[in-house]
Amino acid sequence: MTIRHDVLIVGAGLAGLRTAIGLAEHCDVAVVTKTHPLRSHSVAAQGGINAALGKDDSWERHAFDTVKGSDYLADQDAVEVLTKNAAAAVYECERWGTAFSRNDDGTIAQRPFGGASFPRTCYAADRTGHNLLHTVYEQALRLGVTVYEEWFATSLVVSGGRVTGLVALELSSGDVLGLASRAVVLATGGFGRVYGRSTNALINTGDGCAMALRAGAPLKDMEFVQFHPTTLYGSNILITEGARGEGGVLTNSEGHRFMGEYAPDQMELAPRDIVARAIQTEIDSGRGVDGQYVWLDLRHLGASRIKERLPGIREICMHFGGVDPVDEPIPVQPGQHYSMGGVHCDWTGKTPVKGLYAVGETSCMSVHGANRLGGNSLLETLVFGAVTARTVAKDLASTGEPDVTAVEDAAFRERERLQGLLLRKTGSRPTDIRRELGPVMDRLVGVFRNETGLTEALGRVRGLQGQAQRASLGETDREFNYALVRALELENMLLLAEAITLGALMRRESRGAHWRTDYPQRNDEEFLKHTLVTGAPGALAVQYTDVHLGRFEVKERKY
Amino acid sequence: MRFLIARSHGRAGETHYDTFEVEVKKGDTVLDVLFRIQDEHDPSLAFRYSCRGAVCGSCAMLINKQPQLACRTQVMGLGEKDMHLRPFPAIETVPPEWSPAQGVLVEPLPNLPVLKDLVVDMRPFFRALRDMELWAAPAQEPRTQGPEGRARIQRYLDCIMCAICYGSCPVNAEHSDYVGPAALAKALRFYADSRVTDRQRFLDAALAPNAAPMCELIMNCVRACPKGVAPGGAIRQLKALGHGHATDTQ
Repeated sequence: MTIRHDVLIVGAGLAGLRTAIGLAEHCDVAVVTKTHPLRSHSVAAQGGINAALGKDDSWERHAFDTVKGSDYLADQDAVEVLTKNAAAAVYECERWGTAFSRNDDGTIAQRPFGGASFPRTCYAADRTGHNLLHTVYEQALRLGVTVYEEWFATSLVVSGGRVTGLVALELSSGDVLGLASRAVVLATGGFGRVYGRSTNALINTGDGCAMALRAGAPLKDMEFVQFHPTTLYGSNILITEGARGEGGVLTNSEGHRFMGEYAPDQMELAPRDIVARAIQTEIDSGRGVDGQYVWLDLRHLGASRIKERLPGIREICMHFGGVDPVDEPIPVQPGQHYSMGGVHCDWTGKTPVKGLYAVGETSCMSVHGANRLGGNSLLETLVFGAVTARTVAKDLASTGEPDVTAVEDAAFRERERLQGLLLRKTGSRPTDIRRELGPVMDRLVGVFRNETGLTEALGRVRGLQGQAQRASLGETDREFNYALVRALELENMLLLAEAITLGALMRRESRGAHWRTDYPQRNDEEFLKHTLVTGAPGALAVQYTDVHLGRFEVKERKY
Repeated sequence: MRFLIARSHGRAGETHYDTFEVEVKKGDTVLDVLFRIQDEHDPSLAFRYSCRGAVCGSCAMLINKQPQLACRTQVMGLGEKDMHLRPFPAIETVPPEWSPAQGVLVEPLPNLPVLKDLVVDMRPFFRALRDMELWAAPAQEPRTQGPEGRARIQRYLDCIMCAICYGSCPVNAEHSDYVGPAALAKALRFYADSRVTDRQRFLDAALAPNAAPMCELIMNCVRACPKGVAPGGAIRQLKALGHGHATDTQ
């Protein structure tokens, strides 16, 4: 049986659902998602969404802050689209019912965020993603969007040079089914779980990026991985930048507020890459607590402000860290947080493979360049969800019917492949491979990188890929086979780990979140370029493509 | 530490309990332990998960007979907690091989059909959102709203749709057509939102025969909710509105 729709969207977070809403009235669109939509990682976004709403602010200032924050690697045409459409995206959600936090005059409240020259981050307490995702899900329900819940997409189907559908594993039955379509939009989010220490949901395994690469689409700027400065020690759950936006300060084991030495003007509200490196330097220099973390102190804000503005943070600290930030400082360390890189596409969502589109964290358009500013990722999902929907709708007019036979054949082959994996009785356990991958990436492809470490990491990742080829799951069942899902996710992550490491090794400069201790300067002459990775696992290749400049002159980035 | 986990294969399958001995350390959550069992002992063990930070609502289950999020439940603190729920069979009946002193009992969330092990069919829970049309009609223009207007609905906005209220409700245990507490809290969220212009339809939906009128104000939902939503309070207000003697909530 092959299912048919005009458009398939993989992923039901904000980007996927917003794209689906944009297409719902134009064509037969369906969303394929490995979890229920409300379980998507968008729900965890805390701090807010940027838009120049104030009279004293402007989209141009927002655009400049974004480009500067990106260390000039962002494509300026894409940033223009992002920032020009920001207010409309926020107001659209307001019209759909999102309960933003408000000023006394009833207008949408905005808070300061790192790297921003104006308090332009709109928020709904510290549960902005939760509020937006529930709103957008409600609107998708209103429009009757078809959702294949708990279907894990395993591969794209390419026929005659264009994407013609995908193959997915239905978790409840264990069936592998083909879904034919005239277009596929990837919106599977980031790939933070490649790292051991990550703020990301456990489901963020980069499935869309891996599928796209296997289907022939390049991945772009994969080495630019954002490490959030403040993740809760132990579980690495995110402690929002909003906590510093509200006035939280960072201190080391000596009780010293150290940001003055790293970013004297912006202090704790310098961009994330700078604060993360500052914290890591303190820890590496022996001024961390227990050699592992520093303190984020909110106590001076007072109980009422903490409870009103940061209730979710307080809850997280109490339940997962055993500390109440009203009475004690929070132990924090840097951890992987966001994937600036992703599927190579232009700002309309188009990838170089016909019929294939990408949007949100899965994609790299690129609006974040070498470092994303807080508050710009939620914005990206909504603005470009709408843009990508328009692109797809327009392209459908000149797109023929899908190649159903190719989809059926692909589903047959995938069934055989998964059957082979399930029948393998001996081999490495995926668990052991996963446990090795995370620390390798944390240690060697983390906040600080160098040639020796990256070369070692590349060798270890390729070795793990080899082991994964021969992995055995043990005794599992057909229905709800999460061990199988996790093994397939691991294959995806190993492929992405290779792409990240290779990109990092080849980029012999420091820019934004990519910091090479052996090349500590930015090198615009050689590397004011986007990295493109293509090829097969174990044999990926790197090339470079130009950054779209134009509006803002490339300068040194100082805060 | 010993973990007794309910296992079953599909709707027709019998439930049995498997025992696992797992090493635990301070800070481990029940979700951590479930992963350890899947990784080290039995890869076929099925349970849902996503955020591991108590915001996505995936991992609601019955832990030592109390409905909780596995990711937010510390193994070490388990003995100390009692939600004081009004009993009904699913949380009363204890397998003969278990007593609290012997370890941790993990079972699927009650009141929803079990699909496999700790995975339940959430469709009856989510169906109410569609049936009651719990969404806002898009407004033509953005609206203002005072901070106090938002504060009035804040508590209901915090709902993560984990279904713990549904799984703790003795009425849901007996009546599969009852929409359950979360949907009613969401109905009040829209009814009481100062921006909503067609509010009456939310009250009408909440006062349908399979909705608020079925609630017996037992308040298990209030005691069990991990996010402080207190759906029972919302239902009490909806009932009062239905009887025409409520103050204006908007």
